[in-house]
Amino acid sequence: MKKISHYFSLCVGLVPLVLLLGLWQIFSDKPSPHFPAPSYWFVAIHQIFIHGQLLDSIWNTIWTFLVGLLIAASCGFVLGILIGMNTSVKNWTSYLLEAFRSLPPPVIIPIAVLLMGYSSSMKIAVIAIATLWPILLNVIAGVSQISLSVIDASKSLQLSRKDMLIKIVFPAVLPFFILGIRVAIPLAIVITLLIEMLTGMVGLGGIMIAGQRNYNSAQVFGVLVIVGLVGLGINLFSQFIENRVLKNWPPKKSF
Amino acid sequence: MTSSALKGLGGVVFFLLAWELFIYSAVIHFEYLPPPSKICIAWLSLVQQQKYWLEISHTLFAAVLGWLIASFIGIVLGAALAISKRFRQFSLTTIEVLRPLPGVAFAPVGLLLFGFSLNMELTVICLPTLWPILMNTMAGILNLSKKLEEVVNILHLTPTEAIRKIYFPAAATSVLVGLRISLSLAVVMAVVAEMIGNPEGLGYAIVREQQAMNPNDMFAYIFTVGCIGICINYLLSQLAIYILPGQFLRKDIAQTI
Repeated sequence: MKKISHYFSLCVGLVPLVLLLGLWQIFSDKPSPHFPAPSYWFVAIHQIFIHGQLLDSIWNTIWTFLVGLLIAASCGFVLGILIGMNTSVKNWTSYLLEAFRSLPPPVIIPIAVLLMGYSSSMKIAVIAIATLWPILLNVIAGVSQISLSVIDASKSLQLSRKDMLIKIVFPAVLPFFILGIRVAIPLAIVITLLIEMLTGMVGLGGIMIAGQRNYNSAQVFGVLVIVGLVGLGINLFSQFIENRVLKNWPPKKSF
Repeated sequence: MTSSALKGLGGVVFFLLAWELFIYSAVIHFEYLPPPSKICIAWLSLVQQQKYWLEISHTLFAAVLGWLIASFIGIVLGAALAISKRFRQFSLTTIEVLRPLPGVAFAPVGLLLFGFSLNMELTVICLPTLWPILMNTMAGILNLSKKLEEVVNILHLTPTEAIRKIYFPAAATSVLVGLRISLSLAVVMAVVAEMIGNPEGLGYAIVREQQAMNPNDMFAYIFTVGCIGICINYLLSQLAIYILPGQFLRKDIAQTI
């Protein structure tokens, strides 16, 4: 019963959106260069779907997004632990990392285009570099917050360096690592779309900007909906994974 | 100046020196990667030109204007959502559906509607910067504790006094956090909008120099954008500490777009 009312309230919340789209459909029921009615969006989407462009683009966008994020996550995790474990390295790099972090991620794209040209490896590199900083800085923060008494305990237990990493550092850093990834995911989506828009390469951003250049406004709005759905899907998936990983974290009971 | 700050600066200097040396020793070779010294020279000559300052002021103007519009809408809507339960019921899911839409995705839409113009830039700036302000305003008001109400009753405050002296300061922290996140975001979105659409300002300058294969100026512009970001962040955190002393934990804000 509770679940039904929950879904009901979710549906009620959608009323303004549905109303807006409905009114839009009724009042602008013709193909317009500015505000095409929602039914034309589906026609446009259907068209690029038949040509095979749509699935290609979605696949390309998700693929580059995933690979870039994976590279950033693994580099960020390893580097973050290396930097965080070593106080003097941390001190020496603190300003440098802050400076890199505060550089707006989109400006990396022109640099990468100049250095690497239009290629899919350029795309992946940009995504990896842009999303590296939130993950890296979070992991460093995670290592720094491990309390000294825990480290002392590991010393008095005479844990080897490897055991200390696996039993103490990794579990303590995990929530921070995941927080970093959570920040990095929307960033990665934005950067992926932006690169595709700027370079016109294959992907959702590419077909959006192509639609705009051809004054095919229905296609632009249609792809906007697809982008929203893809973003929603990625968010839900990442939340699912996060809940799975952090299910028993932090441990509720001391054992 | 503490020793850790000195070390931090030392790290930056070391990085720049290493970059310079690597270029000259040709260990790493990219055709279009200039050494920092050349970027610095290009930057110095840019600073003397009027167009450089015009570009900066255009970007800042667009970012601040977009941010002001977004703040107004965000605070009004956020307050309305927090105060009226009915309104919240009927629109929260819609907001949750629209919120994760990436800001850049609206750039082609803005281009369609407004062409290459300031309006397009404002569209791209306003939409993503709206959400942090809206959500923070709503949360700030919703999270006001019940005890504040009791305080108001005990002190026999009139409603206007209650809002001015109790409710507003209590909710302001959260609103200010939203405003701060949004302003940094607005600068980034202004640059993005200029890169894709509106041919003015710093974002366009970066793309222009990139297409002209002129990496010295391009890097100078990129560093300019970085410096502006750092300055704005610093000013805002100082301002926040000044307005609400003691309430602000100087925590790093998550960088999102």
